[in-house]
Amino acid sequence: MRTTILLVISLLLLPVLAAFIKKVKALLTGKKGPPLLIKYFTLAKLFAKGSVYSTSTTFVFRFMPVITLTVALTVLLFLPLAGSPSLLSFRGDVILIFYLLGLARFFTICAALDTASPFEGMGASREAFFAIFSEATLFMVLILFFRISGSLSLSGYFSGENAINVWRPEGGLLLLVVAALFMVLLTENARVPVDDPATHLELTMIHEVMILDHSGPDLALIEFGSWAKLYFYAALIANILTPVIEGRPWITALFFLLIITFIYFAIGVMESITARYKMNLVPKFILTSFAFAFFATILTMELSR
Amino acid sequence: MNPFFLALILIVCGGIVSLLFWNKPHFVRTIPVLSISGGSVAGLFSALNNFSAPHNPGVEWLWLGRFPLSFRMDPLSAFFLIPVFGIALVAALYSYDYLDQPKKGLRSAANYFFFSLLVAAMGLVVCADNILSLALSWELMSIASCFLVLYDFELKDNRQAAYIFFIFTQAGALFLFAAFGLLYAETGSINLAAASTLPDSLKLTFFLLAFVGFGSKAGIFPLHIWLPHAHTAAPSHISAFMSGVMIKMGIYGIIRFYLLLETKSLIYGQIVLCVGVISGIVGIIYAVGQNNIKRMLAYSSIENIGIILIGMGLGMFGVASGNQALAFWCFTGALLHVLNHSLFKSLLFMGAGAVIHGTGSPAIDRLGGLIKGMKFTGTAFLAGSLAICALPPFNGFVSEFLIYGGAFLGSFFEGPDFLVSALAIVSLAVIGGLALACFTKAVGTVFLGEPRSPEATRNHECGKFMRLSMAALTLSCLAIGIFPAIIVRPLTGVTATILKTAEIPRTELLDLCHHISLGAAIFLALTLLVFMFRQYLYRGKEIHSGPTWGCGFTRPTARIQYTGTSFGAPLQDFFSSIAPLHEDYSTLKGPFPGAASYQSVPEDRAEKVAANGVAQPVLRTLKRLRWIQHGNIQLYIAYIVIAIILAVIITVLI
Repeated sequence: MRTTILLVISLLLLPVLAAFIKKVKALLTGKKGPPLLIKYFTLAKLFAKGSVYSTSTTFVFRFMPVITLTVALTVLLFLPLAGSPSLLSFRGDVILIFYLLGLARFFTICAALDTASPFEGMGASREAFFAIFSEATLFMVLILFFRISGSLSLSGYFSGENAINVWRPEGGLLLLVVAALFMVLLTENARVPVDDPATHLELTMIHEVMILDHSGPDLALIEFGSWAKLYFYAALIANILTPVIEGRPWITALFFLLIITFIYFAIGVMESITARYKMNLVPKFILTSFAFAFFATILTMELSR
Repeated sequence: MNPFFLALILIVCGGIVSLLFWNKPHFVRTIPVLSISGGSVAGLFSALNNFSAPHNPGVEWLWLGRFPLSFRMDPLSAFFLIPVFGIALVAALYSYDYLDQPKKGLRSAANYFFFSLLVAAMGLVVCADNILSLALSWELMSIASCFLVLYDFELKDNRQAAYIFFIFTQAGALFLFAAFGLLYAETGSINLAAASTLPDSLKLTFFLLAFVGFGSKAGIFPLHIWLPHAHTAAPSHISAFMSGVMIKMGIYGIIRFYLLLETKSLIYGQIVLCVGVISGIVGIIYAVGQNNIKRMLAYSSIENIGIILIGMGLGMFGVASGNQALAFWCFTGALLHVLNHSLFKSLLFMGAGAVIHGTGSPAIDRLGGLIKGMKFTGTAFLAGSLAICALPPFNGFVSEFLIYGGAFLGSFFEGPDFLVSALAIVSLAVIGGLALACFTKAVGTVFLGEPRSPEATRNHECGKFMRLSMAALTLSCLAIGIFPAIIVRPLTGVTATILKTAEIPRTELLDLCHHISLGAAIFLALTLLVFMFRQYLYRGKEIHSGPTWGCGFTRPTARIQYTGTSFGAPLQDFFSSIAPLHEDYSTLKGPFPGAASYQSVPEDRAEKVAANGVAQPVLRTLKRLRWIQHGNIQLYIAYIVIAIILAVIITVLI
């Protein structure tokens, strides 16, 4: 029940959190920034519109928004929040989750290539390329989590007896994982320094350029899906960082939401103080996160003796 | 066993009849298609009957009054017979349209003849019970497949492909025969079962010899050189059958010989796993760079063989360390991947065949937008690509899921074995990411976007039988992906017999299957909901169509699109130490440069080493002995006489 309530709150917060990053960036650069509810207005505007489809496109293009949103929602169903178990969970669900995200990526790339636009092809190529490395990091993290918790599901990782948490005795090395996951979050959700969501030049974009040709409700579905995906990664990190207070679940939940907000704040700060990397530096950036995860796993090998 | 042999006879008869009536256009295709598909259905039934019969009496007879041949079908053979007959059935159906070339009657007839021989030979390979019968059926399989590659023999490339293929099959067979010789010399028995009595010191040598022999058939790196050539040269239904099934005979051999040894040493798992990781990653990296669609699929077969070997290697780890669950999961996963790969790889090759049939071009960078004219083929190819990228809800996901599950169990190992297990998991993840890049490239460049050449504009959808076989394969991929229990349940029996255990964590595995079904069901239901929501949003809305947003560029042409090569370029660049790109660029010269040209060919490292490091030196050495070969018959006869005299003298002296 608590998970359901938290999930609903989270879903309602998604547009606000997305706007929150914009607000942070604006404030840091000395501007006023849009109101926090701006993304709600954007959604309402897009829902009211019709669409223009390119004559080059096929059903793959129209199906993509449905798939990306569905994947993001399915993934949220498996997500434990603030120490309470997820709505759905089974042994091995983490593998299903990351492969479902792969399915969404497959359709995003195909929809981009479907438009016959060279810019979208460019973005698609980069998306396919960078994902290889972030998947390596993610599965390295999964190995570590499996060794700590003996479980192969998100709920098993973050709830119950062996929950993975920084505040536990051996939690120090999880800070490395937090860093690795944050880097993966930036990569997978097309944020600076891998991609710049605010750029005006199609040549330099990755995710935004792949959805250039989508419009109206389709675009709204894609946007909502990408917010949900960002939230999923942020919640993974927040689950590691949240201090679980015994017998006070709602206080834990409050901490959780605060940490989520802090992660979004960190993304905003990151985007204000760093520039995006040259494309050929991005693999090195992501491979650094792999090194973090790998190092943390090697440390458990010694600790568990 | 009798129904099984009857099925094989029926299949071969079809081929012979086709060869006899090659000039009757009605007979050439109808008779063999009917008999091969009929025989395959019968064979499937006999295999299914033997699925849970571990102690099946075999058949034995004397060949030439001296050599005992024996065949026996146990659950492992029965399992491998399912892809053999299943894919033979769809490939035969597919060929009815694909070989609709009245002017090439004799050639089609020969193709059917060797195809039927190949199916029968594979049936015999998996049932062979002693070294003689295995050697004979193995050679029959190799030779029949070499002739199948020669279908379009006018092209020099194809003749060369068949030649390379022939050299590799025979060299591989030599290693196998060496293993057989070792077995016979040491135990004096021609029964395969005698391998378990080999002394421990020889077991590894025996296994390695067989591993090289079977591995060259399976296409493990670096023994894969023949594979991209042969698969590209063969007609598409043959490529589908060879890639879907024939290379699995190598896998069958490796599993069978490993089990025969009854060993509990860790080294086997380590070897197989490492070879699997290398084949998997290198294979898919090479696949990304290819421009010929069938070549790309061929390299991706090497990757999938790698995945199967990773599963088997982990399973062997489990056997060696006494971790039943690990062994059970990984072997089941590997076997399931054998079946799954045969389904989706055949589907993809058939889709590629339909593309080549419909446009006349196999070059990925010259195609584009085909899904508009070839909606069926495009959708089937898309489904096959999703399956091969192991994405849910398709079948590839199920087998990789099982292997992952086992690999995670293995990550509790300590020391170097933990690293090996972690390596397996991470490389599976990387392979998954690379496969996604490879197949989005294929789907996106070939089927989506705008046509890049006149050939691509003149496409047409393939015939009904081709569509029927692709539909059957697509549906089976989806069925296994959504309801894995239907196939995993009987498969657990096979794994249990091959691991010779009674206590198997079967319920656990079936629970997992139900979870996968549940996950797929939730995902599909949500998809439907979101889809309906989208329909609701678009209700009564104005839908316009126009050109793609050109980012300010007003005169776009199809040529400004990203090509497959440019899509894969960042990857190719990053992995250039493994898969270098050979570029020829005639630079612009002078103030008024003439026409310039640029050509890039992805290089295969192993092929280059084999050509420059092995073939060339051997040829150079042999060239010095050319003087023996002068064309003078009298002197040749003299050689024979001298050789006989020498042989007699040597035997007398010894």
